[in-house]
Amino acid sequence: MRQRGIEIVVTLFAWLSGLLLLCSILAVLVYLIVKGYSALNLTLIFGEADPWQAILLRERVFDGLFPAIVGTLALVTLSIIWAIPVGVATGIYLSEYAGCFSRKALNLCFDVLSGVPSIVVGLFGFAFTVFLHKHYSSQIKPCLLISSIALSTLVLPYIIRTTQAALEGIPRDIRLTALALGATRFQNIVLVLIPRSLQGIMSGVILSIGRCAEDTAVIMLTGAVASAGIPAGLTSQYEALPFFIYYISSQYTTPEELGMGYGAAIILLIICALLFALAFVARKGLSHATLYRP
Amino acid sequence: MKKTFVMKMAVSLIAMSISALPVFAADIDAFRGEKGEIKISGGTAHIPVMKEAAQRIMSKNPGIQISIAGGGSGVGIKQVGEGLVNIGNSGRKPTDSEISRYSLKMYQWAVDGVAPVVNPRNKVKQLSKAQLAEIFAGKVNNWKQLGGVDRKINLYTRDEASGTREVFWEQGLSKGRIAPSANVVISNGAMKSAVSQDPYAIGYVSVGHIDRTVAAVTLDGVTPTIRTVQDGSYPIARGLYSNTKGAPAGLTRKFIDYLYTPSGKAIIKKHGFIPVR
Amino acid sequence: MRALWELLAERFALLSAIASASITLLILLFMAYMGLPAIKNAGFFQLLLSPWYPYAGMYGVLPMIVTTIRLSLLCLAFAIPLSLGCSFLITTIAPRTVAKSLRRMIELMTGIPTVIYGFVGIFLLVPLLREMLESGSGMCILAAAMMLAVMISPTMTLFFCDSFDRIPRSYLNAADALGASPIQKLFYVTLPSARAGMLNGVVLGLGRAVGDTLIALMLAGNSIDMPESMLDSARTLTAHIALVFAADYESPEFSSIFTCGLVLYVFTTMTTLFVRYYGRGEAGRA
Repeated sequence: MRQRGIEIVVTLFAWLSGLLLLCSILAVLVYLIVKGYSALNLTLIFGEADPWQAILLRERVFDGLFPAIVGTLALVTLSIIWAIPVGVATGIYLSEYAGCFSRKALNLCFDVLSGVPSIVVGLFGFAFTVFLHKHYSSQIKPCLLISSIALSTLVLPYIIRTTQAALEGIPRDIRLTALALGATRFQNIVLVLIPRSLQGIMSGVILSIGRCAEDTAVIMLTGAVASAGIPAGLTSQYEALPFFIYYISSQYTTPEELGMGYGAAIILLIICALLFALAFVARKGLSHATLYRP
Repeated sequence: MKKTFVMKMAVSLIAMSISALPVFAADIDAFRGEKGEIKISGGTAHIPVMKEAAQRIMSKNPGIQISIAGGGSGVGIKQVGEGLVNIGNSGRKPTDSEISRYSLKMYQWAVDGVAPVVNPRNKVKQLSKAQLAEIFAGKVNNWKQLGGVDRKINLYTRDEASGTREVFWEQGLSKGRIAPSANVVISNGAMKSAVSQDPYAIGYVSVGHIDRTVAAVTLDGVTPTIRTVQDGSYPIARGLYSNTKGAPAGLTRKFIDYLYTPSGKAIIKKHGFIPVR
Repeated sequence: MRALWELLAERFALLSAIASASITLLILLFMAYMGLPAIKNAGFFQLLLSPWYPYAGMYGVLPMIVTTIRLSLLCLAFAIPLSLGCSFLITTIAPRTVAKSLRRMIELMTGIPTVIYGFVGIFLLVPLLREMLESGSGMCILAAAMMLAVMISPTMTLFFCDSFDRIPRSYLNAADALGASPIQKLFYVTLPSARAGMLNGVVLGLGRAVGDTLIALMLAGNSIDMPESMLDSARTLTAHIALVFAADYESPEFSSIFTCGLVLYVFTTMTTLFVRYYGRGEAGRA
């Protein structure tokens, strides 16, 4: 009898928590959509400028999200450009070249790095900038370049781990086949192992892209500002979508601005959802593309 | 006799306004053909004016890029001193040590006040200076002690870098204590949103920022409006400064000069401040 | 020629590895170096134990440390039952199809940006708390803890599910052979065997709760006082860094944020090390 009682309680508890979690998150999403849905139109993104002219960069956009969206895109692209070569190469080193001791030491370092809070990474980026500014060149200021480097530091552990896991997951016989046929280690890696592990690497990359797009703490300290237009170059300050949301949530001056905040939140959600879906598709689809070459 | 006088007045008025138009246009013309970047940071009260001025300049001159950040007066002074930005705004006069350390040049382009504000739904809208000090020190902590509802008073204050906070603390609270349990917000805009959302809040904000979402508190019988700040009857006043490291040159110089032109002054007036002559 | 490529490739990989690993150390070094003025002035341990009153010359971070501890513990108090219940649901109690789609949905939820939780928290949760509790501004540790729990629960749930899935099939088969019901199996076989994995999940969740900036910054009020209860407005270490980082570089306030950074770094390193060695030890024994 008591068993039945316990079982009922546990079942109830499990269903309740599941429902509670789902409902809380649904509440968040539905609230956003309800409040922001009316703000979703082209004026939200382009303000009073003509959309085509703005996209072709011929007309400046004020009061629109376009600069923030472009800033986020530029930031994410740059961060991934820094992070992929270093991360993939490190992952390759860890799984292929590293000896026992260095593997342990490096794994420890990357585990620690993945646990460091994002604001500490941002603080490090800021401190590094200040240090360089004082001791090397007064031209160095918080900007797009520094933000992207700091952000790439944040996502490096993801890429390293997924690359290493993907490479180590390749079965032994496939690993040895090319070597048995006389290929060098390098040829083996480039021609056999990497193509096989591409889907794992890609899912790590897409995870990192999502992380870069949504992060606020790092960019807050290293160069994102409230109003900057389209970033003119690597050394300019820039706007970003998550920073805009944070900024507008505390400092909106009119209901229209708040509506823009909701709209921006919906756009950010859509971007992250798309990236997630992309990661899912990549995991399934990429294996086809890489293995069945005509 | 009267009719011709009126006619003359009308004609001269029309002539003056027509002749003023090229002057307005000429203010922006100073930037024609310029290229470059201006980085501005600092006081959050200045941001609306900076944003509009930047918008006007940038829409006529695509080669110019102006970026504006907030952070508070302390940040503005420090960043311009360190050379991280071209113009550092502050809502308080830089101290002598700051001026000598960073070789700052100050340009005051507006007069503003700092007013205590409460939520528009709050019945308590008049306070004496002594009461204000007691509220912010935490000694009076329920609205019913002041004739309002029986709810705890929620204090809102600014972060340490804020010039608005400095001015309010010196002149409004006579350097009295601000209770450590006060919620901290990071800009004038944030203070406004916080007070407008919380029916039991009290905070302080730049007079130029006050609109329908918050209610200014009448202090010792004087309501803080831009007019009472101007004629001096409202005591808590401050200047809005733009500071540069050394004498400004080139684009930066032109931007600061723009703030003193008629169109610049019109922008300043529009956002609720008093332009300096 | 080929040998040259070989060498270059290996050297490049080695260089990348060293560069990445050194970043970990660099962060620690910079925190220590930039925090040096504050440390020299007041002594590191004194900084950890004194309150923050810049006007009185005190630049300690004790209230922030206490707030961080209270916030993360409160958050875990909400998140652990929630995640446990959900993981029970997914692995044992719900029917297969429901469990699969539930898991998919929770995986999707891990991708929601933090800033959105904070944003909705300000406009939905804070007024709700203010009216329900009838005191305070609604911006308090409780609000931040609730939102934080909702944020880390999906990740913790998935972690728990993964550690349940890793239990050897033979254990589960043995329980089935003895006639155990699913829930009995859960309680008497799965949970004890997955203890290490679950502890890992909890510790990682703790690390995330401690390191989160935006939710604490936007929802907890940021006052400098020592919090007396969870209904008080308070400031965490992470929010303190975000609020004060723009102060004067030479000032003791600025150096104090590096103390915060150092504390955060050391704490998350300790949780990482704990997860590595405790998890490894337990798994070895099991």
